[in-house]
Amino acid sequence: MTPAAAGSLLEARNIHVSYGAIKALQGFSLSLNEREIVSVIGANGAGKSTFMNAVMGMVKRDEGDVFLDGKRLSRKSYRVVQSGLSLVPEGRKVFAPLTVLENLQIGAFPRAGQGNIAKDMEWVFSLFPRLKERKDQLAGTLSGGEQQMLAIGRALMARPRVLLLDEPSLGLAPIIICDIFAELRRINEEGVSILLVEQNARQALLLSHRAYILQTGRLLKEGVSSDLLADPEIKEAYLGTKSR
Amino acid sequence: MGIDMQFTTLFQQIINGLSLGSVYALIAVGYSLVYSILSFSNFAHGGFLVVGGYICYGLLSGLDVYGYFTIPPFNIWLAGLNALIGAGFIAVLTERLAYKPIRERTSMTLYLLIASMGVSIVIENIFVIVVGGRFRALPQDIFQDVFAVLEKILGFFGLQSTREGSSHLFNLGGNVTVSMFDILSLIVAVLFLGGLQLFLRRTRWGLAIRAAACDLRTAGLMGVNVSLLIGIVFFVAGVLAAIGGIFLSFRYTLYPQLGGITTKAFVAAVIGGLGSLPGAVVGSLILGLAEMLSTGFISSQMRDLVVFSLLVIMLLVKPAGFFGKQISDKI
Repeated sequence: MTPAAAGSLLEARNIHVSYGAIKALQGFSLSLNEREIVSVIGANGAGKSTFMNAVMGMVKRDEGDVFLDGKRLSRKSYRVVQSGLSLVPEGRKVFAPLTVLENLQIGAFPRAGQGNIAKDMEWVFSLFPRLKERKDQLAGTLSGGEQQMLAIGRALMARPRVLLLDEPSLGLAPIIICDIFAELRRINEEGVSILLVEQNARQALLLSHRAYILQTGRLLKEGVSSDLLADPEIKEAYLGTKSR
Repeated sequence: MGIDMQFTTLFQQIINGLSLGSVYALIAVGYSLVYSILSFSNFAHGGFLVVGGYICYGLLSGLDVYGYFTIPPFNIWLAGLNALIGAGFIAVLTERLAYKPIRERTSMTLYLLIASMGVSIVIENIFVIVVGGRFRALPQDIFQDVFAVLEKILGFFGLQSTREGSSHLFNLGGNVTVSMFDILSLIVAVLFLGGLQLFLRRTRWGLAIRAAACDLRTAGLMGVNVSLLIGIVFFVAGVLAAIGGIFLSFRYTLYPQLGGITTKAFVAAVIGGLGSLPGAVVGSLILGLAEMLSTGFISSQMRDLVVFSLLVIMLLVKPAGFFGKQISDKI
């Protein structure tokens, strides 16, 4: 195995995942540089969520490895989180019977006794002031947008080097999506690299620096996001506008 | 029966019911805790209780393993402590040997349920083979040290004790008496359940367990070592079951099928709401009271009829129990 290319923070190489006879991912590779936002876009069933779960060690990889800073990541998800990757899962998955504060505390679980957790809590509250107002409320009583903010805040509490987001726009009103994406840009500017998986291709391409387009488990195209936004083929298939 | 007599019986049976209910609560809470994390009924839970009972019995009476080595009799503190830890480890071992391989292959909880029935049969029969199936009584004087301490504390509050044969009683006024043993089991249950609550509310792993009870997979995404978490949960369940086991073998007798009494704890957990810990406590107290009141006012033969009628009525009226997740909440 050759060492990971210099400069890339996260590198997934030749990932294969199958569910029984169904091959969900057939050799997908991706790299993410320090301070970069990379998005993976594709239709429903293209294997986007499977890819995220494979990186996090939540599904078994048949083949392929993931490297962080050139070091091979464990296949156990709790170790992946400890080494600096945090996933905001599809559908938010906040812990509904726990309070907002407890949801944020559990996000800091891997850092027991290290660093200043209270300070990071303030940082998350400064990103999402709504969460501070509702810190003693049960997470299940929050609106969809607030739950998404909480899920992002919870992932940030682990102080990740890479923040992974699986469909953050799912089921949210367009105005809330804009807010969330604006916050993601701010989080990125504060030094967190972001890997984003989205069906909402336009928003994802507008936010990210580079993007990969996934089709039925394989790479269709990759490139700089602004180029892909202008690409006639992409426009027609993923952005729903005819090029003329 | 005069009115006074009726009241005496009522108070007496309420006290007895709370004491029995608190023992059920220890068993039901452990069972419910496992259910809340892995969503299956662990029928081997009764086995943990029997393991605790036998370790305690063995250490109290001293062990002689075929003449190879002997262990002198322990006092109740040491025997009890070893029984709790031993049952905790057996619970963890059960999970690692019987459930973990299944958990890692499938998310169907039905297989876990079937495996747990198997484990329950295995544990029961290990005891039948190794120590024999006969009934054993725990020596009645084992709690004397503990009772002496309790007597001083209660004496401080103006309660005087009397002895009737081997039983040690307190008179609460009228003809209502409460035995030392009932007070002890109530206190121990409150201490351990309070301790569990503190652990769940105040510690990092407690928070992780509460999160895992909501969504185990997502708890794993938070950097929680799920395998270790499940181990901790089984250890706690084993410890609580062992306390129940010691108290039940003192109250009744110890035999390999004693674990069957967990059926009552299952019923209590269902009445309270499966997977809910406050529910398990409330359900257990209701069950203990129902048993003792039907013993006092109807007949002791009718008590199981009352218990299971309660279960049937509860399932018809409020199938999720008092504190259980409503089906609609899960979506």
